[in-house]
Amino acid sequence: MLNQSPSDTLDRLVGLLPQSQTYAARREREKVVFATQGSEDGLFDPALPGLSVEERLYVALYACLLTPSPDLAAEYESRLQKLGANLQTILLIQKSDIQSIQSIQNARLEAILNFTHTLITKPISADKMALSALPKAGLSTPEVVTLAQLISFVSYQVRLAAGLRAMKALEMSS
Amino acid sequence: MSAPIHINGFTNDTLGWKAWLDVVQLAQATPAQMSVLEESHPKAKESDYYLFLVHQPEILRQRSLAFNAIMYAPGGLSRAERELASTVVSKINGCVYCASVHAQRFEQLAKRQDVIEQVFEEPNGAGTSDRERAIVDFSIELTRNPDHVNASSIQKLKDAGLQNSEVLDLIHSIAIFAWANRLMLNLGEPIFPSV
Repeated sequence: MLNQSPSDTLDRLVGLLPQSQTYAARREREKVVFATQGSEDGLFDPALPGLSVEERLYVALYACLLTPSPDLAAEYESRLQKLGANLQTILLIQKSDIQSIQSIQNARLEAILNFTHTLITKPISADKMALSALPKAGLSTPEVVTLAQLISFVSYQVRLAAGLRAMKALEMSS
Repeated sequence: MSAPIHINGFTNDTLGWKAWLDVVQLAQATPAQMSVLEESHPKAKESDYYLFLVHQPEILRQRSLAFNAIMYAPGGLSRAERELASTVVSKINGCVYCASVHAQRFEQLAKRQDVIEQVFEEPNGAGTSDRERAIVDFSIELTRNPDHVNASSIQKLKDAGLQNSEVLDLIHSIAIFAWANRLMLNLGEPIFPSV
């Protein structure tokens, strides 16, 4: 049990304790544990220039609501609240429909959230036009890279959480 | 050399990929960007995909660490089965480029392509054994409806002979392609070989 990676965001969200088999299975794939947490830390690092942390959390919240992944949506909502983000914006994102997103009345955030909608709900439908809406809304290329990586990471994180939760549920029932 | 497959727009041909926005020019890359490219993939410096993502080097570094640990680590789920799961996810998400790469890897590892043809035809019910069908079914379910996956989904994998460690590797292989497919589909497009 020496040199084990510490509990991370996924353990906390799924409720995995060190004595569980699922927790132990994750520690046999420690590089994945570290790189998953490392990706999350990197994507939400306040020192990363470009998209603000608030914008990044709005994206994560919206992505989780659309997937849907209620547990992860609650996690990102609580991080937004801790940050002191605009409550009206959070409420409009939680409604999740196009009209609500438009009524945030922030063209940059609207373009960011529309791109999030496409990548989460129908990744195949995205094309050069969908991508070019981002530079048109004022995003630099590195900001576009951050946004695409963030949405794609959340797609990964919600499936990992769902899979681990199911493993834990089976472990508990046996 | 495997036989060419062309089914429903999916193929095992070797495809190229080009970015829709500006990539980092190697001559202008910072030392940090160069080292991340070298860590990520043997051909990253010639690839539009990596040269685009390296605009954010630390994020690419962590993504590559996760990807390589999931797809290439020894033990656990066989590498061929990981590639099968990746191919199923890529087919469901509509990523022709990713599907072509991972179909080829499956064939190299498993020395057959029957199940890949089935997946390209119709992923539902694809698989040449109970174990393969269980892997394919779970890959579809976790990709399409992550909120529906539950204890009985995992029990079906165990009934088909997967150990706990193999189940975790399968979850990882499916999840990492939710990530990879979205980058490949939305930041550029595949280039098909000229006939």
